[in-house]
Amino acid sequence: MSTTYEAAPELPEVLAEPRKRGRIATFIRRHPTIVAGGGLLTIMILVALLAPWLGTVDPTAIKPWMRTRPPSAEHWFGTDMLGRDIYSRTIYGARVSLIVGFAVALLSSVAGTALGLVSGFVRWLDTPIMRVMDGLMAIPGILLAIALMALTQGSVTNVVAAITVTQIPQVARLIRGVVLSLREQPYVEAAIASGTRTPMIIWRHILPNTLAALSVQATYICAAAMITEAILSFIGAGTPPTIPSWGNIMAEGRSLWQVKPFIVFFPAAFLSVTVLAVNLLGDGLRDALDPRMAKRL
Amino acid sequence: MLSYVIRRILATIPVMLIVALFVFSLLYLAPGDPAAVIAGDQASVADIARIRASLGLDRPFLVRFGSWLWHVLHGDLGTSIFTNLPVTHMIAQSIQPTFSLMVLTLILSVVVGVPLGVIAAARQGSWIDRSVMLMAVFGFSTPVFVIGYLLAYLFGLELNWLPVQGFTPITQGFWPFLRSLILPSVALGMIYIALIARITRATMLEVLSQDYVRTARAKGVGERSILLLHALKNAAVPVVTVIGLGVGLLIGGAVVTETVFAIPGLGRLTTDAILRRDYPVIQGVVLLFSLTYVLVNLIVDLLYTVFDPRIRY
Repeated sequence: MSTTYEAAPELPEVLAEPRKRGRIATFIRRHPTIVAGGGLLTIMILVALLAPWLGTVDPTAIKPWMRTRPPSAEHWFGTDMLGRDIYSRTIYGARVSLIVGFAVALLSSVAGTALGLVSGFVRWLDTPIMRVMDGLMAIPGILLAIALMALTQGSVTNVVAAITVTQIPQVARLIRGVVLSLREQPYVEAAIASGTRTPMIIWRHILPNTLAALSVQATYICAAAMITEAILSFIGAGTPPTIPSWGNIMAEGRSLWQVKPFIVFFPAAFLSVTVLAVNLLGDGLRDALDPRMAKRL
Repeated sequence: MLSYVIRRILATIPVMLIVALFVFSLLYLAPGDPAAVIAGDQASVADIARIRASLGLDRPFLVRFGSWLWHVLHGDLGTSIFTNLPVTHMIAQSIQPTFSLMVLTLILSVVVGVPLGVIAAARQGSWIDRSVMLMAVFGFSTPVFVIGYLLAYLFGLELNWLPVQGFTPITQGFWPFLRSLILPSVALGMIYIALIARITRATMLEVLSQDYVRTARAKGVGERSILLLHALKNAAVPVVTVIGLGVGLLIGGAVVTETVFAIPGLGRLTTDAILRRDYPVIQGVVLLFSLTYVLVNLIVDLLYTVFDPRIRY
């Protein structure tokens, strides 16, 4: 006996055709802050990369006969007290800010994650690591960076190192918290029970689950690092005066700001816009990646 | 309760010890040999070694740390390399402006930040909410010296309402004292207001969605007393926590604000000390600020039980 099966009849189309909208349009509608922040940041990165081709001159070229000139057609943002072109210095200054911001975000994320993982997995190291982190956190970040910079010569590398040290404890704490809560999850217990080695558990089950919180934290660290670099340079403990950074330009304009406010104004505006862009990106990422945290803040 | 207070106070000791160890290492690692500086140009190697021994610089790290800590605990922070004055004396001289600035900023931030957060939460999604949140992002992103210069330019130079720079001690009258601090504390308070407004809004939203708030609404309690009595009181713990944590931002910001407004406080002392590489002064200021930060957060922790009687230790 043989049975023949008929193909199931075509189901009638009961659901209305979804409104067609481009992927990009949907993304913009859903995450306006990511788009705004990311867009502004992209512009800044382009400005930093293309600095030599944006109508700039040598940012360190001195023209003593052209000192503290207000903005004009020749010098768009004016000149400083050594006759250097503020427009060129500001454009080149974007490089320092962005390098410091990204480098600190990357380095403190890596170091903090490593410490947080060790703290969360190695019981006897947990207390000593976290106590040292508590101690570091008890020193206000900017002061800690100032103290570290007082020990070394002013250079971009040292500024990055000093700010990174101040940011590591927060990342370590965040990651340790995530590790401790993930360790209790049934799938991690199952992995342990089935004999998966610890490095594999970390790589496969723990790290992917820290990425959302970590990337949000990293953007905020990037913003904080850019502000800290500017503050350090502003009070004379940051990048050396030979390198044009926004903090340095403002530090040099400090004594003259009541009569020549434009020297301070332009780097200040660039710094604020860049930090705003990174913060917007961070807020957007938080809303998109970590809905629980978004509800809390 | 008492045992909790004692345990919590004892728990700050290891933290402060680590801070002290770090601050001491700063001087230990600092470049330059004090003995060679004291000995002068004509000194032989033996002379320098003798001076080093007399200063105790040849002793092991931990021994030196112990003796330094002993002095610190007795209120001796060492002597400034530059002015030759005791560091405690220099700190005492410049503490009044910084302390006044920080207290005024703290009051201002709470008085402005908490109501902004409450209003934003009460009108969630409205234009008020959106503009408060937008202001918070701006407050977060604008560095304190940028706000400082903008305010000083607008209200000091253009409108001529308030002094542009400087500090008037309270002994010369309360009103001049307050006038000299208005612009600096608004500049310094901006980021803090943003932080407090954001956290107040977030916790208020959470509390407002609780059952007891719905019950209160159902039995006809007025919206104002729901907001202020039922919700804000229960939102106090996270708000107070952020106020405590924000003191760290306040301290860092004070250093910069004092530079912008030429206020002769601890921040100026720090910046001058950095430019002169005056390590004992840097050490003293970092130690003092860290102690303040730890103590403020200790007080915040102890306040939890007052704001939320459910918390029992």
